[in-house]
Amino acid sequence: MRVKIISYSILIFIMALLQSTVFNYIKIFDVKPNLLLILIVTVALLTNDIEGAAIGFFSGLVQDMASGKVLGFYALLGMYLGFSIGAMNKRLNRENILILLFFTFVSSIIYEYFVYLLNSIVRGTVDLIYPFRHLILTEALYNCGVSVLIFAVVLKLNRWFVSMDKTLRKY
Amino acid sequence: MLRLIRNKFFVIFTLTVVILVVMGLSSNQNSKLNVVRNATSVILSPFQKFFDFTGEKINGTFVYFSDVKALKEENDLLKAQIDELSKENKELSGYKAKIDELRLALNIKNHFEDYEPIGANIIAKDMGNWFNIFTIDRGIQDGVSNNDAVVTSKGLVGRILSAELMSSKVISIIDEDSTVSSRIVKTNEEVYVKGDMKLKDQGLCRANSIFNDVDIAVGDTIETSGLGGYYPKGITLGEVMEVRRKTGELFRYAIIKPAVDFKRLDEVFVLKSKKKVDKTGENEK
Repeated sequence: MRVKIISYSILIFIMALLQSTVFNYIKIFDVKPNLLLILIVTVALLTNDIEGAAIGFFSGLVQDMASGKVLGFYALLGMYLGFSIGAMNKRLNRENILILLFFTFVSSIIYEYFVYLLNSIVRGTVDLIYPFRHLILTEALYNCGVSVLIFAVVLKLNRWFVSMDKTLRKY
Repeated sequence: MLRLIRNKFFVIFTLTVVILVVMGLSSNQNSKLNVVRNATSVILSPFQKFFDFTGEKINGTFVYFSDVKALKEENDLLKAQIDELSKENKELSGYKAKIDELRLALNIKNHFEDYEPIGANIIAKDMGNWFNIFTIDRGIQDGVSNNDAVVTSKGLVGRILSAELMSSKVISIIDEDSTVSSRIVKTNEEVYVKGDMKLKDQGLCRANSIFNDVDIAVGDTIETSGLGGYYPKGITLGEVMEVRRKTGELFRYAIIKPAVDFKRLDEVFVLKSKKKVDKTGENEK
């Protein structure tokens, strides 16, 4: 358990760091991927709803603190995302890459729409098509591309956790 | 009771309520909760500094080879410009001495004398794609405080959204949540420059609801008016690129091209107020 918490927090930290600095230089069509969202999706897919919600909450919290206008906004969204994906994965083949791509694509679209709508509904001007064409679709596709790499890392970590659990149980 | 705590949905519901309360509290700028934010930014900012530095270096080496020819041309052009400008500069410095003399005689205060510029580097940008907020490497330690204006040598960039211990967040004028009270230099008339979702990708912003009798034309310079208190008076903001009217609307709107290029922003200055304001809000004399 302790190892799990430490390695997940290191992962969150690295993702937040990369997303706020290095990925500014590798934008495609002026859009960068949302690494923390991919992390939430992959972890939630491979584990259960509680772990998904926890990692969603904490990575959202880091995003809130590093950049963001109010504290708690991304934490809330991330928690719901991790929880709902974790609750859905019981009947799926978790290590299938196509399922991962599908989930990343759909949840990127839903997540970014939530961020957009909750931020602009107060302002009174809501345009549903323009952000989709210029930002959300590109980001969802970019997320799918990057998710394969992150999935490989998280999968390896997850297998390591499982094997460690088994060896602990023997004694 | 124990069964209630075990229930996932109950836990999620309680957390939601707690977060909503925290969101409400933290939207106030002076709230104590913002100390929590400081903690992470203190840990994160040195790493961000390092990563941004290396990223820039890598990016720089790639650009280096492709740019040599363009740089040569630009160099010739700039040399010609230097000659021109130095000639102009001599004339203008004569004028400046005269203006200072007249100011002294008329007892008009120079607005910029009250401010002290602090140089800062941009170390990180917003994590998502929606907002134009970035982080700079100066914080409360260096004397930065909330709502200070941020500029470059060319013009206005934005203001400090929240000053943290070693870094601070800047909201730029092309962000949707930013409004700058400004005026047209030619006629001294008031316009409000706002960020716009569709225009910010191109680094532009817009001025809404311009009355019909306002004399505004393409190429007019816009500067801050000093109303509202965030931005000092007379900082160049940009120039008018287009004046439009939507069919069926009473007022016109203008598209404004900021003097600062937001895509290639790297170093900025924070204008720190020299006047120390104590907690009651009165100026120290």
